[in-house]
Parts: sequence; structure tokens; C-alpha cells
Amino acid sequence: MVLIVGVIVLIAVNIIVLSVNSRRYTTFGLERIAISFISPFQELVTRTMRFTRDIWQHYFYLVTVTRQNQIIRTQLNQALEVNNQWQETALANVRLRNLLDFEKTISEMVVAAEVIGKDPSAWFKTVIIDKGRADGLAKGLPVVMPQGIAGQVIEVSNHYSKVMLIIDRNSAVDALVQRTRARGVIKGESTDRCRLDFVLRKNDVRVGDTVVSSGLDGVYPKGLRIGLVSEVIEHDADIFHEVIVTPFVDFEKLEEVLVVLEVEKQDMASRQ
Amino acid sequence: MSYCFNIGICLVLVILQTTVMPYLSMLDRFYDLLIPFIVYLSLSRPIREGLLFVCFLGFIMDNLSGSFFGLYLTSYFWLFIGVKGITQLLQVGKRVTSITVIVAAGVLAENLIFLGSFVIFSPEQQLAGDAVKIVAVQILWALLTGSVFLIIFRNTHNWLDTGFRALYARRQNE
Repeated sequence: MVLIVGVIVLIAVNIIVLSVNSRRYTTFGLERIAISFISPFQELVTRTMRFTRDIWQHYFYLVTVTRQNQIIRTQLNQALEVNNQWQETALANVRLRNLLDFEKTISEMVVAAEVIGKDPSAWFKTVIIDKGRADGLAKGLPVVMPQGIAGQVIEVSNHYSKVMLIIDRNSAVDALVQRTRARGVIKGESTDRCRLDFVLRKNDVRVGDTVVSSGLDGVYPKGLRIGLVSEVIEHDADIFHEVIVTPFVDFEKLEEVLVVLEVEKQDMASRQ
Repeated sequence: MSYCFNIGICLVLVILQTTVMPYLSMLDRFYDLLIPFIVYLSLSRPIREGLLFVCFLGFIMDNLSGSFFGLYLTSYFWLFIGVKGITQLLQVGKRVTSITVIVAAGVLAENLIFLGSFVIFSPEQQLAGDAVKIVAVQILWALLTGSVFLIIFRNTHNWLDTGFRALYARRQNE
């Protein structure tokens, strides 16, 4: 009898504690200890794996590389030509920015970090990166890639941080459809795609449309690319579109990320 | 010796499933590798020692994962208690077939606790469309490999234990 009552009490306490924790992401500061304890080993193993992989790629695939080299040289020549055009555009951009009194560009506002560990669970999508408070990182900072938005810093220790990816089921990003400026919220599904929620049916959304951040959530700078609309489902009884978005970032191959720093984030916000 | 062995195994398993396995596309839906270890602790180690490592692993995994704090701790704790209780009640847990079923049931139980917590604590969020497929694949992997892990843990521990005892006895004789 005592055992049964004990088990019932234990289950009740367990549910209450989980309920409290699920409302607000908190670890009572203990997380730093665990991350600081495990992350050095993760870093060591990840670097060893990458080192081994690099040796394999560099020394055993030389034949393939030679062929690729020829192709790449051709592509490089073409890219140089395109690059020249872009430089012209960049110069024009600089002039226009000066005109608008912009002080910095996004390239000056980021810290590059390496992914050293991934979430062990299939239900959550987070990664551990090798930069922390000592590098200027803080909770809530946006994490981006050249291809688009990657996620948000949710926990910081001295030299390591945890990043929640936009495909995580707890993630939400205020977004716009670039073509029509239809607004919605990008939500993760803990799979390789996201949903764009709360897009009114009166707004035009089509497959192939680009989705960008709106900047209204106060986390991500405005105009960063998120993904492409891959599916639009209409429900007769619903006032919203059901929009499926495929992110530009390949989260399976995430190795390096850029963290946009706090001060600069405020600058971005003030520009909007 | 047992504590050192357990710490070593914990570290290896956590590192393995956060750094190595995510890069192996074939194993991207592999089950939580710590479940066989929790089952091993439950079947082969004393309650006090087992509970200590269950709490340690739950704490580490809660912090490394994006889950809310306490979810892994809850799963591991009830898995440990459940396996201990059921195996003592039914007098099973020695044969390979029963071990295989226990590990697979552990994988199912962990996933049910996770999914249950999503449904109860954040009902507004949709579950991934392929949730059933994820759980099915994990259980299949558990049926194929779960008992192997458990046997490896048990045999390695016995082998180290025997070795250390022999070494200690030799030192005493000298």
C-alpha cells in the first residue's frame, strides 16, 4: 500500500516538475556544468573525425580532384566574371549605404563557430557550437549561414553554446513571403522542413516563393533568407493557408555557423 | 571499478550519439543508445549504484538536448524502476530473447514519454508527420541490436571485474 502511494506521489511530483519546466526553457544554470563537462570531448571527437575525413578526401581522392580541378577552373573563370559584376554592385551598394548613413555591414557583425555536437534525440533539433560567453555570445542571439537563417542561441557557457535550429519544434521565426510580403510564423517540425503558419488565405502564396525573416520578432535581422515554399495546402474551413517551407540551410551537413552579435543586432533593429 | 566502468561507458555513449552517429546517415533514426545501458544498470547493478548513474545520465542528456529540463531524467528514472520491478516480478531478464524485448520496450516507453509530454504540455504544437515511422524504425533497431549492447556491457564489466580482482589478489600475495 505504502509502495503504491509512494509511486503515485512520485508520478504526481514528476508531472508537476515537467509541467513547470515545459512552460519556460530553464535549467537553473546547471546546463553550463554539463556542457562544459561534455563539450571538450565532443570537440575532440568531432575534430578527430573531420581530420580523418580530410586526410581521406585530400590524399585518396586525388584523381577525382584533378578532374574536378579542371571543371572548377572553368567555373572559376566564369565566377570571376560574375564576381566583377558583383563588385560593381557592391560598390554601388556601399555608396547607397553611405547615403543612408549605414555604418556597418553584416560581415562585421558575426562570430564564426564550429558545430561540435548534435542533439541526441530525434524529437529535438539543437547543436553545440565551440563559441561561448568568452567570444561575446549571449542567450537569444541569431545564428545564420550564408544560405539563410540557422537558429538561435538558447544556452551559453564560457566556451560553448547550445543553438536551437529553426527546424526544432520549439522554434518560431516571424517571416514574410518575399514576393507578396504575406506575413506568417515559421515553425519547426523537428524534421527537415518547416511550416509557415498564420498566412491568411487572402494572401497569395505559391510553390517556389522565397520566405525571408520579417525582423519583427526582435531576434533575427530583417530580410535574411529562410527557405522556399515547397507545398501550399488549402483547407475549405480554414482562414489560413497551410504552407510547407523547405529551409535553404542543409541542417544535416551543418558544420560552421555565424552568430550575429547582440550590439549589432540592436543596430539592425534600429535600421528597420 | 564498477563506478569507473559506468562513467567510461556513459561518456563513450553520450559522445558517440552526439558526435559520431549524426554524421552516419544510415543511423540517423537510431534509438537512444543509453537505453540499453539503463536496462543493464537495472538488470545487473544494485539499486543505489544504478539510480546514481540514471540521474547523472538524465541530467547530462537533458542539458545536451533541446528538450525541456527533466524529460530525459523522467524517462530514464521510470525505465530503470519499471525494468527492475517487472523483471523481479516475472523473473525474466537472463535470456537473450527477453533482453531484446526489454530493450525494445524501453525504446518504446521513452518515445511514449516524449510524445506524451508533447501532447500534454504543448498541445498547440503539431507532432512530426512521420512520428510513427521514427518510433517504428527505432524499435526495429532496438530489436536487432539492443541485446548485443547489453551483452557487451555485461561481459566487459565481468571481464574487467575478474581482471581487477586477480590483480588485487596477486598484489596481496606478493
